[in-house]
Amino acid sequence: MRLSFDDGTLLIEDAPDTVPHAEWDDRVEEYRAQAQHYREIYEWATGDGQATLRESPASSAGFEDAARSFSEFDLTPSVAIEPRDYQQEALTAWRENSRRGSVVLPTGSGKTFLAVQAIADAGVSTLVVVPTIDLMNQWHATLTNAFGEQLPNGVGVLGGGSHNVTEVTVTTYDSAYRYINEYGDRFGLLVVDEVHHLPAPTYQQIPEMTIAPYRLGLTATYERADEKHEVLEDLLGSVVYQEAVDELTGEYLSEYETIHLQVELTSDERETYDEEYQIYRDYIDTHDIELWKENGYQEFLKRTSYDSQGRRALIAKQRAERIARTAEKKLDTLDNLLKRHYDDRTIIFTANNEFAYEISQEFIVPCITHQTATDERTEILERFRTGEYSMLATSQVLDEGIDVPAANVGIILSGSASKRQYAQRLGRILRPTEDNQPARLYEIITEDTMETYVSDRRRQGVA
Amino acid sequence: MLTADLARSRTDGDTVTPLFVDPDDDRYQQTATELIEIFTEHLGEPKGEVEATIDELTIADTDYKIVQGLAKLLQDECEFEVVAPVDPQEIRRRLFEKANDSYPVVRQPTLGDDTQPLDIYSNIADRLGISLEECYKGMYADLDENKRLVRFGNQAIEGHDGEVTTSTTQLTGDSAESYADDTITVEWLLTRYNLALAQAVLYDATEMRIRVWDSFSTVFSYVKLFGLMHRIYPIDNAGSRVESTDVADGYEAVLDGAASLFSKSRKYGIRMANFLPALPLCTRWEMEAEILDETTGTTDHRRTLALDHTDGLSSHYSAQSDFDSDVERTLADKWERANTEWELVREDDVLDLGAEVMLPDFAIEHPDGRRVILEIVGFWTPEYLSEKLTKIREADAANLVVAVSERLDCSADDFEGMDDRVLWFKSGIHVYDLVELADEYALPTNT
Repeated sequence: MRLSFDDGTLLIEDAPDTVPHAEWDDRVEEYRAQAQHYREIYEWATGDGQATLRESPASSAGFEDAARSFSEFDLTPSVAIEPRDYQQEALTAWRENSRRGSVVLPTGSGKTFLAVQAIADAGVSTLVVVPTIDLMNQWHATLTNAFGEQLPNGVGVLGGGSHNVTEVTVTTYDSAYRYINEYGDRFGLLVVDEVHHLPAPTYQQIPEMTIAPYRLGLTATYERADEKHEVLEDLLGSVVYQEAVDELTGEYLSEYETIHLQVELTSDERETYDEEYQIYRDYIDTHDIELWKENGYQEFLKRTSYDSQGRRALIAKQRAERIARTAEKKLDTLDNLLKRHYDDRTIIFTANNEFAYEISQEFIVPCITHQTATDERTEILERFRTGEYSMLATSQVLDEGIDVPAANVGIILSGSASKRQYAQRLGRILRPTEDNQPARLYEIITEDTMETYVSDRRRQGVA
Repeated sequence: MLTADLARSRTDGDTVTPLFVDPDDDRYQQTATELIEIFTEHLGEPKGEVEATIDELTIADTDYKIVQGLAKLLQDECEFEVVAPVDPQEIRRRLFEKANDSYPVVRQPTLGDDTQPLDIYSNIADRLGISLEECYKGMYADLDENKRLVRFGNQAIEGHDGEVTTSTTQLTGDSAESYADDTITVEWLLTRYNLALAQAVLYDATEMRIRVWDSFSTVFSYVKLFGLMHRIYPIDNAGSRVESTDVADGYEAVLDGAASLFSKSRKYGIRMANFLPALPLCTRWEMEAEILDETTGTTDHRRTLALDHTDGLSSHYSAQSDFDSDVERTLADKWERANTEWELVREDDVLDLGAEVMLPDFAIEHPDGRRVILEIVGFWTPEYLSEKLTKIREADAANLVVAVSERLDCSADDFEGMDDRVLWFKSGIHVYDLVELADEYALPTNT
């Protein structure tokens, strides 16, 4: 009998009819099984428990294992932080469950740190799957910090334009779904972050198509309204550890003072702004689009795809917004603020990449956007952390769930009107200075434009 | 190909129909013309400017999604490159380090010792030995929107070698190769767009059923190339399944992927989309795909996409037969003139060897009833060939011989001794080499 990895499945050649989990594939006249059953099939074939999983591929007694292509190694996390009690308990529970199952811990309780311990404990090639590119970047930074020097090829990244698969690789759900049939034999441990997103027909194929005998799911909210979390048991194993939210301290929101600065458009800007805005308004008014209704704006967007006047109105709106966003006097105000705070640690937020890059070039400030490559992003944040860089411009990437090095001055040049996003941004990054000067947040907005409205909505949200 | 958001199709009960455009319609021709002009005019310019121009394009009476779709297909024919004298990341790292020592870096200095950006730029430019402009523009030259359009179709900016060669593009004609001799035309774009609309529906396909009545070897080569698995059934002229390949006029094949055995999976939809352009290489074909629609609530809804040769689709893939027919004709000619009792007979049969299909081109028959079947392989990868040979051995089809072209770059050494029923040939096949093989492997026919 010969076991091999074939396009996300296990092909079992010359197998007896008793082979577990397998179905007869009449296309190739052999048995085939889902890759996730590798461990059971292996144990059935070798008649052994998990002890042998750590040994080299078996080829004895008529059984050849050509499926397994992951490697084993000894890793020691280079961050010598003692795991907290609940982390140690969670790790033990997972290990005793044959290194399978999910751990449920509240946000901010160090799930990433737990995963680092689990990777070292399992000592096999590991694939970490996360929902967003931002989280992928964060995990990359953490894993590089912990294992980077011990891995000959560094921590790999699959997704967001990178295609570098190494012994420890971070990827997004989307990229994992796309490539798992190619790489599903390369990892012995599968770590899935925010695992409650996994029960979707497409994403479910990620664990199905990997042979990884060890699996770890992480989340703060395991239960799904649609009860689909039950399939997680089959895919990763059951919940091995759960810590209630209120047993851990809540999120830390530091004190800061907020200063709102309004700037005017220059007369040229004002003229163009009014012209473009009028084109947009006229279209809305003459087409009876009810923007205040829930689907009003969606309705408008839909029209723009088939109505060329609507298309023109959308372009007009975008031009007007751009003028308000990048108003010349905003840069002048920023100029003044940077003079005042040149000695502080400052993060400048913009709502869009283009403006972030404009500021980066204009004031020669390091800049992070979703376009920034993972390696460079890790480097810039690290330098900001150590003080090598004291300023940072960024669009929306330093949001929810991302550990941003502390700053004592925040400058919002423009942003979207989401209240949650606003509060989290502030809470996460602003800390008083060492001599207890309170942190400061500036918001620079353009007077008498759509931005004023957005900013009002935002402030109401925080109050 | 189109991204999923640029797909345009109509759903009617259980069927999905791509919203094809009429390539002869004036307004689409006009839109296509304008778009092609934009790309041509922007050779050497940043990608961001090409996109901004397209973004602001408003064309009366044309659905903007069509404009975006056409633009996407044109962009697939483009090459964008970072143009900078020094690695941009190196430029900006130096700038940031220098700036960090000099903050505040301001636009309007109020104090004598405030640094202006220009001071930093010129300092680093001097140190890197580049001009001030190169330093400023190079700082973010690697951003996607700052990459330069260096090639569009067969037009390349000066000093840039427009040739792109990889094995996949050669096989699928997906890039420079397929139109190395001609330019991107309005007709090319609109035809390609219709094909892309059909491909976009297939992204959600779980299974594809095809029926073909000619060009078998081309079709199955592409099935293999795109990693699809198949079940194959001989059919008659009307498309009904028949008992044996001897009475078959064509073949029906059900295509899916490895994991389809366990559940309906959309994982292979992209491969089916990639495969689709192989079908219009046939004179007569039919295709039916099962499309899984998950947008309609919790229960999976299955719909059908049906296409055939009357839909006016055309292919940009290359037909294997262009090459093969040449080799085959030459061989037939040579055989005529050769002095042998063996006869070369045209064979259009498909032998199902499990995971592999054998598509013989000829049979070589002796008056005494001995017979050998010959397949000419002009189009292969090492994996393809080695699997094929394994399957032939396992299939117990002792009278099969294979002639393999050395035209592709893969070294014949890889297969030496692997199978002596393989005849390697360079430009043409020698009759007597084949006769020798026939003598060795032919079996008496049972009938």
